[in-house]
Amino acid sequence: MAGQVNIAGLSWDITIPEVLSGTQRWVLSAMQKHGPELVTMLWRILANEQDVCDAYQDTFLKLAHYESGQKPQYVRAYVFRTAANTALSMLRHKIIERKRVQTLQMQSTTDTANDLNSGLLQQNLRSCIARLPKNLREVVTFHDLAELPYRQVARILDITPATARVYRCKAVRLLAVWMNKSENEI
Amino acid sequence: MKTQQKNRRCKDIKRWLYTALSKQIGPDAGWVQQHIASCPKCRSRLLWASRVGVALQLIKSQPHSLDLLAQANQKAVSVLKHSLRYSDKAQKLKAAMPQPTIFERLRKYRSAAANLAACVTILLLMKAGMFSSTRKFQNDGNNALRHYYTNYVGDEIADEIFPS
Repeated sequence: MAGQVNIAGLSWDITIPEVLSGTQRWVLSAMQKHGPELVTMLWRILANEQDVCDAYQDTFLKLAHYESGQKPQYVRAYVFRTAANTALSMLRHKIIERKRVQTLQMQSTTDTANDLNSGLLQQNLRSCIARLPKNLREVVTFHDLAELPYRQVARILDITPATARVYRCKAVRLLAVWMNKSENEI
Repeated sequence: MKTQQKNRRCKDIKRWLYTALSKQIGPDAGWVQQHIASCPKCRSRLLWASRVGVALQLIKSQPHSLDLLAQANQKAVSVLKHSLRYSDKAQKLKAAMPQPTIFERLRKYRSAAANLAACVTILLLMKAGMFSSTRKFQNDGNNALRHYYTNYVGDEIADEIFPS
């Protein structure tokens, strides 16, 4: 994206979107307006500060480079969806990695504590959310983790609030069954 | 104007309907509780759903460090183009702290507001003569009972129970 230009004997660093889209101050405005909510949502999905920063950076980088620096029609929907997708793909990688480590540990130790372990419960829920179908996952992420009201969730996902409620209900049902299954497996 | 009123009434009725229905068919409704007590399958379903609720609450209750927003902003701003990176707004964002919402800010005044409301209510009740009316009703009731006892068990016992 970056290029070097020689003008009057001096070399200038320019980025292509800068030329195409003017000042792009709206990126900073979006960061100011939606940043706190995004950070909370990312923290609840990822539970790791470094990962939160990475996902946040990725989101705004994508926003700045959206269609050669054009402002999306609905910035809020774009940043929330991009952040959630980025975070969930990071979460999936983490789950795969964790499973690999767990299998190695299981071979050496046999820990069968089956009581209500809060850390385990949260981990279990996060992995189950990552497994949900996209439409259900997005509703749970925005309504339960980002704590957005159904009306806003519906607007971001371009569905009706009633549909969002139905999706959330279906999601909770699936999560309940999956969480129970995975706990029994443990 | 009429349409607005109609819409408002429609919204109110919808809200009342939801409230009434949730009392009738929500998990706290009596018949649901009775069924759950006798049906092991529904009991386990409710248990699983509650576990999801508990896990969600646990996730929400985990705090992050106060400067996480500033850290995230710094990292995001560092990859933006030069003119944005060094703007005043970017510098402010780099030091941004999470701000509590208006409800969270007003929470500390909640108990004071409740006390004030209670005082105002008591004053209004006094102004409306509610307390003197209550006392009057109490005296009338006592007199009626005393009269009843006098008729059926005699003056002496009535005087003992209701000394004048």
